[in-house]
Order: sequence, then C-alpha cells, then structure tokens
Amino acid sequence: MSAMARFIIRFRILIILGFLVVTAFFARQIPRAEIDSDMKSQLPPHMTSRINTDRIEELFGGTEMIMVLIKTDDVLNEGTLKRVKAISKALNRTKGVDKVLSLFDLKYIRSEDGAMFVDPAVKRIPRNETQRETLRSEIRDNDMVYGSVVSKDFAITAIIAVLKNNTSDNIMVPRIRDLVEEHPGDEELIVGGLPVTRFEVSQSIQNDMRRLMPAGILIMLIFLYLCFRDLRGVILPFFVVIMSIIVALGLIPLLGWKIQVITVILPVFLIAVANDYGIHLIAKYQEDNRPGGNKNNKELASGVFRSLSKPVVLTGLTTMVGMLCLLGHQIVPARQLGILAALGIIFALAASLLFIPAVLSLLPVGKPVRTGASNNGNNRPLLERILVFFGALVSQKPRVVIISALLFALLSGFGIFRIVVDTDPYSYFSDDDPVVITADLINEHLGGSQNISIVYHGDIKDPRLITKIDSTEQSLEHLPEVGNTTSIARVVRQMSRALNDSSETGFNTIPDTRNAVAQYFELYSMSGDAEDFEKLVDFPYEHAVITARLNTSSTAVLSNVVDRIQRMTEDDADVLLVGGFGLVLADLAHIVVQGQFISLFSATGLVAVLLMILFRSIPAGLISAIPLSLSMIILFGLMGFFGIELNIATAMLSSIMIGVGIDYTIHFLWRYREERSNGSDPVNAASTTLITTGRGIIFNAFSVIIGFVALLLSNFLPVRFFGFLVVVTILACLIGALVLVPSLCLVLRPRFLEPND
Amino acid sequence: MKLSILICLVTAVFFSVDSHAAEDIDPKAMVDTSYETIKLTGAEATAIMTIIDDKGRERVREIAQITKLYDNGDTEKKLVRFLAPADVKGTGLLTFDYKEQDDDIWLFMPALRKTRRIISSEKSKSFMGSEFSYADMTPPTLDNFTFELLGEEEVHESSCWKIAMIPATDDIADENGFSKKISFISKETHMIRKAVYYDMDGELHKELNVLNIKLLDPDNLKYRATHMVMDNLQNGRSSILKMNQIIFNPEVGDEYFTTRFLERE
Repeated sequence: MSAMARFIIRFRILIILGFLVVTAFFARQIPRAEIDSDMKSQLPPHMTSRINTDRIEELFGGTEMIMVLIKTDDVLNEGTLKRVKAISKALNRTKGVDKVLSLFDLKYIRSEDGAMFVDPAVKRIPRNETQRETLRSEIRDNDMVYGSVVSKDFAITAIIAVLKNNTSDNIMVPRIRDLVEEHPGDEELIVGGLPVTRFEVSQSIQNDMRRLMPAGILIMLIFLYLCFRDLRGVILPFFVVIMSIIVALGLIPLLGWKIQVITVILPVFLIAVANDYGIHLIAKYQEDNRPGGNKNNKELASGVFRSLSKPVVLTGLTTMVGMLCLLGHQIVPARQLGILAALGIIFALAASLLFIPAVLSLLPVGKPVRTGASNNGNNRPLLERILVFFGALVSQKPRVVIISALLFALLSGFGIFRIVVDTDPYSYFSDDDPVVITADLINEHLGGSQNISIVYHGDIKDPRLITKIDSTEQSLEHLPEVGNTTSIARVVRQMSRALNDSSETGFNTIPDTRNAVAQYFELYSMSGDAEDFEKLVDFPYEHAVITARLNTSSTAVLSNVVDRIQRMTEDDADVLLVGGFGLVLADLAHIVVQGQFISLFSATGLVAVLLMILFRSIPAGLISAIPLSLSMIILFGLMGFFGIELNIATAMLSSIMIGVGIDYTIHFLWRYREERSNGSDPVNAASTTLITTGRGIIFNAFSVIIGFVALLLSNFLPVRFFGFLVVVTILACLIGALVLVPSLCLVLRPRFLEPND
Repeated sequence: MKLSILICLVTAVFFSVDSHAAEDIDPKAMVDTSYETIKLTGAEATAIMTIIDDKGRERVREIAQITKLYDNGDTEKKLVRFLAPADVKGTGLLTFDYKEQDDDIWLFMPALRKTRRIISSEKSKSFMGSEFSYADMTPPTLDNFTFELLGEEEVHESSCWKIAMIPATDDIADENGFSKKISFISKETHMIRKAVYYDMDGELHKELNVLNIKLLDPDNLKYRATHMVMDNLQNGRSSILKMNQIIFNPEVGDEYFTTRFLERE
C-alpha cells in the first residue's frame, strides 16, 4: 500500500482538482430533477395492478377528482345551497375542469304521474320548511346523489370537479383553492381528493429536502467539532459528505429518475454514513500525532492512509452491499435509492481515501490532541472511562455478556408477531392533517375514498351480461367495506324506474330483450350527458365497468376485501380485468413484505461472505453475523411492540443498517487481530483495541445516529419513525461490536484472530 | 353660380361614394333572417346521423322526420322515428316546440311497447348524443345576445357575412354552451354556412360546416341544410347529419303528430 500512498502524495493537487471538477459537473444536473408524488409510480411497470389501472383509464377516461366538501348542520338550508350553486357554476367555467358533479349538476330522473321527469337534483333552492322537506325526500329517492354527493345525514355535501386528462396538480390544486376563497361562508369547507394529496406530498417532499439537509449538516458540523476539537476534523469529512450528496442527487436526473418520498432519506443517509471514513482517518491522524511526536504532514497523511485503507475500503464495501440489497425490493424508489446510495458511498469512499490524505499532506500538522492512548492520569475523559469499563466487563465476564445478549434478543423477538404492514398514503400525514380529515369524511359519509374496478367485455347490450353485471354489483354492495357502486346496470335500472310506474313489471328491473337494453341506452344518451355514459361503457359497447368505492384506506382491511373481490371474479369468463387504486395499494403491501425478506436475507448473507473473504476464514463471517442478527431481531421486535408499521420507508431500514452496522465489528476485529499479532494476549488485545479503535468506533456510531436525527424533522410520519428506528439499531450494533464481539472472541478464540505462529 | 355647381358636384360625389360603400346590414336582423330561412311550413325527410369518437369509431343512426308549423309559425310539431340500426328501429319521439312555454315531448319505445311523456327542465345539451346541441337546432332569443358585424368572407363557395354573437350574461352563456359564436351567413341564401363556437374560457371549441343546402320552398325562398358537419376541436369528436331525401310539403297531415300515430308501426 505504500506505493499507493506515495502516489497520492505526489499527485495531491491533481487529485484535489479532479474531485472538485466532478462535483461541479453533478451540481449542474441537480436543478433538472423533478418530483413525482404519484403512488402508481412506486409499482414496477410490469405489475398487473398498475397495467390494469392504466388500461381502465384508457377505456373509460381519467377519474382524477378534486372534491370540495362543505360541512354544516343541514346542507339543505338556503345560504349553504346558494354557496354550493355558486361554487359549482364557477368550477364549471374553470379551465382544466372537464365536468362538475354536484347537487346542481347531477340529475334526478324519475317517474311521476305517468311521465318521465328529468331535472337537476336540486331544481329550486327551497325557501321554507315545506319545500326543504320535499327536497329532502326527493334526494333520498335519488340514488345518484344520496350517499355520494350528499351524506345520508345531510350534514356534508361534495362538489366534485372531474379534471381533464394531463392536467398538472401544481396548477389545478391552487387554482381550485383560490376559486373557493372567492366564495366564503359560515360552513366548514375542505378541499381534498387524490390530486390534493399528491400536491401536499410533493410540497412536503420539497419542504423536507430544504429543511433536513441544512439541519443535518449543521448537527454534523457541531458533532464533529465536539469529537475532534480541530477544524481539520470538521471540514474534511464535511467536504466529503457535501461532495457525495451533490454527486448522488445529480445522478437522479442523469439517470432519468424522479425524486419521490423516500428519496428524502438519501442526503441524510449520506450525511450520516459518508462521514465515517473521514472520521476514522482523522481519528487515526490524531492518534498518530502524539504530543512529543515529530512526524511531518506528509508522513502523517500517508501513515493514515496505509493503516486504514483496507478496513475503510471494507466498511465502504459492506455499506455498499447493504444498499445494493435494496434491489431485492420491487418498489421502484427503493431500488433507485439503493443504487444512488451505493454510488454515493463509492464516491465518498474514494474521496475519503484520496482527497482527505491529499489535503492533510498539504495542511500544516495539527495541534496534538489528548486521546485515550496517551493519557495515564486519573482525570480520564468520560469516553475513555466507558471504554475501559467495557474492557473490564468483557475480560472478566464474557460468558455473562453473551447469555444476556441472547436473552434480550429473545424477549424482544416476541414483538415480531405483532408487526403490521401499511401502505396507506394517508398514513404519511398525522391525524389532524386536512388530507386525512377529508379522506375520513369521504370514507364515512360519501361512499369511500378508495376504489376498485371490474371490467367486463362482450356484447354489453346482451341482457344476460347486464344481468350478470347487475348481480355482481349487488354482491359488492353487500360487502361492509364497499360504500357506493356504479355501473351501466345501475343506469339501466334507473331508466326502468323512469319509464315504468312502480306498479308495472318493468319497474326497477333489467329488461330481458336486447332491443330494450339498446333503447334504454339510446334514451339515456339523449337525456343524460354522453360523457357520463362513457365512464361506464365504451363507445362501441364492448366494455363496461363496475366501480366499487371502498370506505377504508387501512391496508389490512383493503388487502382483505381486494382479495375477496378478486376471488369472486376470477372464474368469470366475462370479466376482462380488475384494477383501480385500491388494488395498487394492496399490491404495494405484498411487495413491501416480499422486498423486506429478500433484502434482509441477501444483505446478511452477502455481508457475512464479504467478511469471510476479508479474513479468509469462515468463522469470521459467522462471528460477525451473530451481533447483526441479534440487532435485527431487536429492531423488528421493537417495531412490533411500539406499533410502528412496516411500510415503504421502514422496510428499507434493515438492509441499510446491516451494511452500516457491520462496520463497527470490522474495525474491532481488524485492530484486535493486529494487536494479537504484535504479541498481546487476548485480554490485553481486547482492552487496547477498545481504548484505541473503540474511540473511532463510538464517534462513527454516534455520527450515524446524529446524522439520522435530522429525519425526525420530516413532514412524513414513516420517515420520522425511520429516524427513530435507526438510532435504536445503531446503538444495538455498537454495543454488539464493543461488548458482544470481544466476548465472543475471548470465549471462542477463533483461529483467524490468532497470531500466525 | 360656380359655387353652387361646385356644391352640387361635391354632394353628388359624396352620395355616390356613399352608395358604393359596403352595404351595412344589421347583424341582429341578419341572424334572425337566417333562422327564418329554414322555417318550413311542413317537411318530410330521412337523414343519417353519424357520430364519430376521437378514435375514429362510428355510430350510425338512420331517422325519418316530419315537421309542420302551427299557430302562425309560433309552434313547430315534429315526429322523429329511428329506422336503423335494428335494435332501436321503431323508437319514436314526438315534440311540440312552443315559442313561449316548455316543450311537450313523448317517447315511444317499441321493445317495451309503451309511450311515455318526458318532462325535462334540462334542455339536454347534446342532440341524440351528437356534437349538435338543441340550442343549435332552435332559434335563439335574440335579445339575449349582442351582435357585431365583423366583415365578409367566402365560405363553401358562397360569399358570407361574418357576424359575432355574444351572450349578454354568464347565465345565458351557460345555457347556450358558448361564450362567443361567429356565424358565416350567405349573402345570397341567408343560410348559415359555417359557425365557430368558443367555450367559457374563450378557447376554440366547435366548428359547424354546412356543406350542402337545398332550396325547398322557391316561393318563399326557404332552404334547408342537407349536409352538416360539427367538429369538436377539443375532444376530437365529430358528428355528421346528412339528409337523404327532403321534400317540402305544407299539407302534411295533422294525424302524424299524435301519440296514437307514434305508437303505430
């Protein structure tokens, strides 16, 4: 390695310039990055639910809706209805709005006095009690409106703006919010719907990026200074981190990717982890730069490189492997995060090993700092005292340590059975957020905020097929999780109620001849809006859809009802496909769990193999796997006990932590082996390692913890939980490396750590 | 003497210049005339309505239509019967279109063998699901609009007046479905040969082209459009109405316009 060290010293100026130029190139890419807050993009393109949902949009048009909800004691009062009417009219004229569904736009088609009446659901605003009650009973009779655009208790009414295709959330959401401001009133008014949720998510992502990074950097700078009390120790690792973040973020638009919710974790991850290599180098620098020593800056720099290059490269490799195991997920942003983080780590590694020594060799030698190795007095710093305590504990009671660790892991392990999976986008937000309140209101009173659609194909005018669609729709309505349903069969029934008196046989039934069905369709397209119709059946009358709204967004309930609906339709030859957003969410839940298992096991396996290669010994891999596995058991156990859900963010946690958490063990084993081969006996080797490398290990672990603390400031609940869980896992890995691993070494005395006699 | 001759000459030139100026017509009156021109005291026709969606798929309806004016032209009675396709054949619609009060409408559905009266407060915007609207088919209340003569233009080999029609209030605009309509009315026949519609945002929405017309009542110079195409430029759909045969018959029997006749055949 000394040839490499000489190379670095010789070409230090070039190296420094090279890194700066590369960083500048990536910095220029960053402004091109776009944000994508659509849940559908998280699914890989080949997933059936995504393909089907796209196909449904193709056949029946988009269903993007922004809903204006108005809440008061009784919406049928004059003032409220006037406000609803004004807002509906204004929305109808708004650019980007395809059509409006409201009490004033939807129709009341019925039979009365032997005639068919076609009127708007509210023809005239009632001005007295009698008129109001008449209107109320009319609305109760109108299933197009009752329970969908006005709640059954008449406390909430919705004005739904169906958006044209290809409208942008960033334009429509503020536009409709502004419009609503121009119609103030006493009633409570909320604007909601999927475009609004996406808009808020997108805003929060931007907000997070703007806050978390500076916060994380500031925290890191303070921490570094407290550790090293030397500007070198602050600026050099900081520089490496900034460069890695710029490179990783710049890669996003370069690779044609977009920023999503979990991408927010990337810069914070790099702040926490990219630091480590620099920290170890600076720690060694300070260790070598003893008071009374007389090495010059070049000697110090190359010495640091030579002694640490191997373990640092190894820890970088394991972290990279841990991140790449995120490719075990099918969820698109998780895979992307894995690749971006891995590339960021490689860059940080290269920068730490090349850039930092190059700069160190240029700077004047730093002031020597007292480290544990050089201090024999009674006023030892706290850190050192802890390490000495660990050393004593490990040497005197190694078996006790091992058994306690196993017991603790076992106890926490029971929590694993209580883990719940959750992919509900509303769980990103806290319960009092308007996004969640709107969804809850819609779920409870207006038919449901999620949907699942069943598409039939064939001759839609065939009475046999319509009757089948009708009976499927009725079965769906009986499911408790299903709020409203709509389909062409419902329309035919409505027409039959308008064209027949209640005493006649044709009333409220599907007719039994094809001609009758065709004529009902013709009549509807003459009295309704042609576009209404085309959301239910396509132009050549070959495809028809049942849309069932689900009144829950809880992943567990959703998955269950989606499964049941799929089983109901799977043997039906007339059903072409099942799709819809509810299906997308249920699918996401499956692949989150799947991804969790695959990434976890592959990360553990690969890391163990890496260690076996490094130490050229199989037991090396096994010894390191033990504290790792115990940390994972504790992690999942705690998630279960604290009720923290397994979701897209937290599912990535384990493989990230494996790559990072193993580093402490590696540093320990490396130095321990070196001490042993220098002649120390096992106990002394352990103590010395703890007191010297232990310092770097603790700084390392705490820098990771402190780096991730910034995540607690996120707008998104899952990201905040991620931050909390990181702290727990790293602490577990740290204690494992400082206490459990030494005990295992002392008790098992594996051969790879023994000196070559 | 010379001065008076000079004055006479100037006055003569002035007036002659005036008489050779572009004929200034009253745009409002011209629009009124364009609707009067298609008012026939009685007519029988068969027509084909083709509705085309944005993917080029077609839906074709063949209809037969009989119309007659009553009450000095204030009331129009119309019987429409579907001739094809087979599954809607025989469906009939009988309309009494009054000047002041709401229309009376009856529908006959052969598959149900029943006639039903339809009372609709909604002038359903689309005619038979096509891009033509009922508002297009019926003469507008002229006082609801302001008119402006924009100039002249040749359209479908016919020299036309270009007239803008703008609803007086937002409500009237909503009812009619446009914020502005520019009509090209033939100077010779007074038929609308082309119309361009703008939506509530002022964006180009639909375009009507009358490709062929027929003189039906030579004594009163009454015409009918025999080939009309309406293109919706925003959603890519279009509708074509083509008259196969149309004859002027002021003596159309009154018995056609009864529910009894509706239910026959």
